[in-house]
Amino acid sequence: MTWSDLTLIAPLVAALLVACAVLVVDAIAPGRDRPAIAVSLVGLAVVAAVTWWTGQAPGTAFGGSYTVDSLTTFLDLVFIAIVALTILFGPDYLAPRDLPVAEFAATLIFAMTGAMLIAGSADLLVLFVGLELMVLPGYLLAGFAKHDALSTEGAIKYFLLGSFSSAIFLFGLAYVWGLTGTTRIAGVADALAAAQGLSPALAMGLAFLTTGVAFKIAAVPFHYWTPDAYQGSPTPVTGYLSVGPKVGAFALIIRLFVEALGPIQTDWLPVIAVLAVLTMTLGNLVAIAQTNVKRMLAYSSIAHTGYIMVGLCAYAADPTSGGLEAVLFYTAAYTFMNLGAFAVIAALQKRPGVTSQLDTFAGLGRREPLLGVLMTLFLLSLTGIPPTAGFFGKALVILSAVTAGGWMTVLAVIMVLNAVVAAFYYLRVVVYMYMRDPKGEPVVVRHGGLVRLGLAIAAAATILLGVLPGPLIDAAAKAAQAVAGL
Amino acid sequence: MRLDVAGIPILSIIVFLPLAGALLVAFVPRRFETAIKAIALLTALGAWVVSLAMLAAFIPEVNGFQFGETADWIPVFGIQYKVGADGLSAVLVVLTTTLTWISILASFGPIKERMKEYLVSFLILEVGMLGVFVALDLFLFYIFWEVVLVPMYLIIGIWGGANRIYATMKFVLYTLVGSLLMLVAILATAFAYQAATGTWTGAFDFFALRAAGFDTTFQAFAFLAFFLAFAIKVPMFPFHTWLPDAHVEAPTAGSVILAAILLKLGAYGFIRFAVPLYPDAAVRFAPMIIGLSVIAILYGAVVALRQKDLKKLVAYSSVSHMGFVTLGIFAAVLIPVGAIGAEQALQGAILQMVNHGLITGALFLLVGVIYERTHDRTIAKMGGLAAPTPVYAALFGFFVFASVGLPGLSGFVGEFLVFVGAWALNPWVAAASAFVMIFAAAYLLWMFQRVVFGPLSEFLAGLGGHLTDIRPVEIVTLAPLGALIVILGLFPGLLLDLIGGTVTDVIAAVHGAATAGLIR
Repeated sequence: MTWSDLTLIAPLVAALLVACAVLVVDAIAPGRDRPAIAVSLVGLAVVAAVTWWTGQAPGTAFGGSYTVDSLTTFLDLVFIAIVALTILFGPDYLAPRDLPVAEFAATLIFAMTGAMLIAGSADLLVLFVGLELMVLPGYLLAGFAKHDALSTEGAIKYFLLGSFSSAIFLFGLAYVWGLTGTTRIAGVADALAAAQGLSPALAMGLAFLTTGVAFKIAAVPFHYWTPDAYQGSPTPVTGYLSVGPKVGAFALIIRLFVEALGPIQTDWLPVIAVLAVLTMTLGNLVAIAQTNVKRMLAYSSIAHTGYIMVGLCAYAADPTSGGLEAVLFYTAAYTFMNLGAFAVIAALQKRPGVTSQLDTFAGLGRREPLLGVLMTLFLLSLTGIPPTAGFFGKALVILSAVTAGGWMTVLAVIMVLNAVVAAFYYLRVVVYMYMRDPKGEPVVVRHGGLVRLGLAIAAAATILLGVLPGPLIDAAAKAAQAVAGL
Repeated sequence: MRLDVAGIPILSIIVFLPLAGALLVAFVPRRFETAIKAIALLTALGAWVVSLAMLAAFIPEVNGFQFGETADWIPVFGIQYKVGADGLSAVLVVLTTTLTWISILASFGPIKERMKEYLVSFLILEVGMLGVFVALDLFLFYIFWEVVLVPMYLIIGIWGGANRIYATMKFVLYTLVGSLLMLVAILATAFAYQAATGTWTGAFDFFALRAAGFDTTFQAFAFLAFFLAFAIKVPMFPFHTWLPDAHVEAPTAGSVILAAILLKLGAYGFIRFAVPLYPDAAVRFAPMIIGLSVIAILYGAVVALRQKDLKKLVAYSSVSHMGFVTLGIFAAVLIPVGAIGAEQALQGAILQMVNHGLITGALFLLVGVIYERTHDRTIAKMGGLAAPTPVYAALFGFFVFASVGLPGLSGFVGEFLVFVGAWALNPWVAAASAFVMIFAAAYLLWMFQRVVFGPLSEFLAGLGGHLTDIRPVEIVTLAPLGALIVILGLFPGLLLDLIGGTVTDVIAAVHGAATAGLIR
């Protein structure tokens, strides 16, 4: 271990220290949320700064098993944004239900550390360790409301299927290691490039890896855990689960499928393409039938996974198509708009007992005009109406697909038809908010400052990325170039 | 004397003035409703005045787009903020600003609740519509195109009639299917340009793309996607089914803007983008589109004859009248070089766009006037309005005759020019669509007779003192439209001079001639 190893993993170390600091603060002042939140938010700002600073001097550490390039930095910053936003809108929901806020924040930051490890891994084992570090706190969070049967049920399903899929994934990694004789990502890529064609054993390994990853990103038909885990979890956790582990899994896909398995991309492309079509179509069709907004957003997040996979396919079909930068831009845009939507739900549920059924939203535009406008903004962005972040996400994915040409154009057409289906159920929430009258006497709820700040950030980012997407597109393009093969 | 606006970004001022107004309105507390109304109306009037100044500064003799503004927006893909106006854009911009302030003024009475949200929606709607008419970058065009969607969705869905949610969802979903496929086509076009030239610079630029010339197979696919988006918006048969629902459920001002401007977006899209960018495909599909137009003209008229609801009748008459617009555009595309009629057909189509905007806008306002007093639009319940409301009956008669196409009023000129073009193309097409003039007279005049003449109906008599004649403010909303109908009917040359450049340019584009440039 050298000094440069330490500077390169400085963001990870900083994140771990912040998580520990939150726990220490909680131990010193138990039950008091403010210090813990303050420490975690300031800490995350520091981690972001360190990440930025580390990103200025890319390199590899620990004998080439960890790497810092512009992709690592890009993804790390997205993870930090996800966790910071979740911490901002968590307390308003957790505190009235007597759920521990400090533990919530610390668990999230631990999960973030795992995600950051994935983003920077240059070795299959590091990749797997990162994956487990990211998802284990997720199981904990899903069952955070431990006296709530639904929460526990969702957590158990999530845990069992998650562990199962991790095992399958690890099995697949073993195949790859056995056939290539190395766990270094660059080494795997070289070995696969040298070997002509796909051996049966490698095909097996690829099948296991794809299955494992499909579970993690909740691609159809490996999505069954999602709706229960999402609906049962406390709302801020659902928001996190719909974004954090998903972006983490896409980081894993980029490191594993694009980098390590890049030489055999023509072999996995058809599988991913079929999964993409199934995922977006089924996710959207089932979302139509939901009357619970959290569950609806769970299915819609499956659909968004499908859209992102289209970008991945475009990259695999033609690495110069800009598919990867579309994937990266989309994940960033999705972070803000989806977390924003969940923040609104969490804010509405500040009073315990308020459900996330569609009825909760009836007349919201009149009861709480600001929340109504923000929810509309996030939903329009999720639909993909300009000028919002979500629109540019979709536009970039479509652009990469038509650039790749051929069958990818068909994927783009399927994607936009899906977007129309999605418009139906997203706009139905708007119908409830503005075009129906509230049931019963509305109760005025005062929202905390943190959730207001979180909503303001999410809304500002959603609009800003829709009006001036240039800088983020440039950053995503730079990050995409860092990936081997470009 | 012409205004000199050199150095002033006049188009951006027109487009974004309503946005400034919308933001201002959004931050005024709800209780100051008078202030909110005043700000919205003044903003709309301001945009109107600036657009008139723009028209006064417009030089028809110049071949090309004037008041050009260009700024980099997303340089990686060569996407620009690029706006400019030729005669067609200038005319439609003024039509939009005129009808917007009229609609806002006409809303103050009927809209009883959530005035603030209503006016914000309306002003943002104006931004989108104006943007579509001046955008010269395909990406920018698409953004404005979609911006139109949301406010109209809210206007129908929140302030509409009983079945408003069904109507507004139908409107949105229909429009989205078309527009998202158009987005794919826009991006594919840009990529085709990039692949051919090796650079993204100009890949979304109207002029660069027009000069590029795409291969015919690609043109066919891209044109069909554009066609679907525009045909749904116009709406052409068989994509028209959202229109009657949307019109019936929308509040009066929503119907006015929907008929007068939103439908024009589709026709404008054909003239500005679909035909010049994909001329080969336009020629290839023109016979099919002409066929659909003739069906729309006949079908709309026949169905209008059977309607029991005033608004639905006007809505179906829109389908019929907009059929003339698409007929004119694609007759102009199909008529060979050198033959007479192409120019007339396109001139007629554009005139018909403007006339339909003025006349149908006024008809919806008039239906709104009666609805506000009776809360009913059923033709069978009306009758004998001439006695209690003579001024209203007279105005109604004037606009009905304008819609029928009475010579001397503007509706006549547009349809006549389209006939001339259609005749040059194929006498049977012209005969079939001319035949519909009889139907138009029938359904409109029969409706007028049932509503206005005869003894006062029981239903209306039962209203007693509520059945007041038209109020001065309502006359103010109708007067500019009436005046324009007379002026353009007597002096269609005023409009023809303005759009002459556009007509020549589009017809030249079909036959592969050089394109006009952007002039600052």
